[in-house]
Amino acid sequence: MSDIVDARGLSCPQPVLDTLAALAAKGSGRIEVLVDTEASRENVTRAAQAKGWTVESVAEEAGAYRLAIAKA
Amino acid sequence: MIRGLLRRLGAGGAGPEPAPAARAQGAPEGPDRGLLVFENTSEVIRAQKLLRDAGVQVAVMGPPPEIRKGCDLVVTFPLVEELRVRRLLAAGGGPQPLEVVPVTGPLLTPVDIFQVKDFGTHLMVRAANMKLTVDKSTGVLVNVSGGGCPDVPYLAALLVGRRLDEAPSPREMGHTLCGYALGLAFEELQRRCSPS
Repeated sequence: MSDIVDARGLSCPQPVLDTLAALAAKGSGRIEVLVDTEASRENVTRAAQAKGWTVESVAEEAGAYRLAIAKA
Repeated sequence: MIRGLLRRLGAGGAGPEPAPAARAQGAPEGPDRGLLVFENTSEVIRAQKLLRDAGVQVAVMGPPPEIRKGCDLVVTFPLVEELRVRRLLAAGGGPQPLEVVPVTGPLLTPVDIFQVKDFGTHLMVRAANMKLTVDKSTGVLVNVSGGGCPDVPYLAALLVGRRLDEAPSPREMGHTLCGYALGLAFEELQRRCSPS
């Protein structure tokens, strides 16, 4: 089961900081991140990849983006 | 070097605080400053580069409300160098200021274009419309946001994941006003992070 970071409604760089904190706490595995702007989606993706995680999927739902981020 | 950098990063308190823009760009503090007001931001950038390359201690700041007639940025310079500044701009084919104004009182004091916010684990510097965030424990840049210019994704890809002391300068790599503003934020972070 994925951990979920709900960063909807937060302005940059808070979604990235919340995601990085969750990635650091998790270490490996899978988390999901919810953001509601394209800029946050791009920034979270970039930050996760810089930390060696992979964005497995991005789903649009109800005006938000759900990013599935994983690391083996 | 990185240790000194991180010591400096860890020294900040919580919440936003203004950054000393004049000091950030090597300009002296004190009352005897003048402002160069230009028609647009491109001219500000050209003038700053021309004067800085000539050794004049300039800084880019926001204009005071009383003289906000050109663009959203002004160049400040030591007032004693006014004649030299005018000659440099004229001789170099540089942009001609709409006005040259001495800073004579609070109403004519330029506005800081920087804002700094300490998130505890991270430090963010905002310069005009661009924000740059660094991880205080590692010195690694974690986020670039703001702008909307076409080169921002490119600059973000260059910067995010790299340490502040090894990342390329966005001012040199960028091609837009966003790149310029990001360069200012980058230099302010470097100043705050450099060993004292």
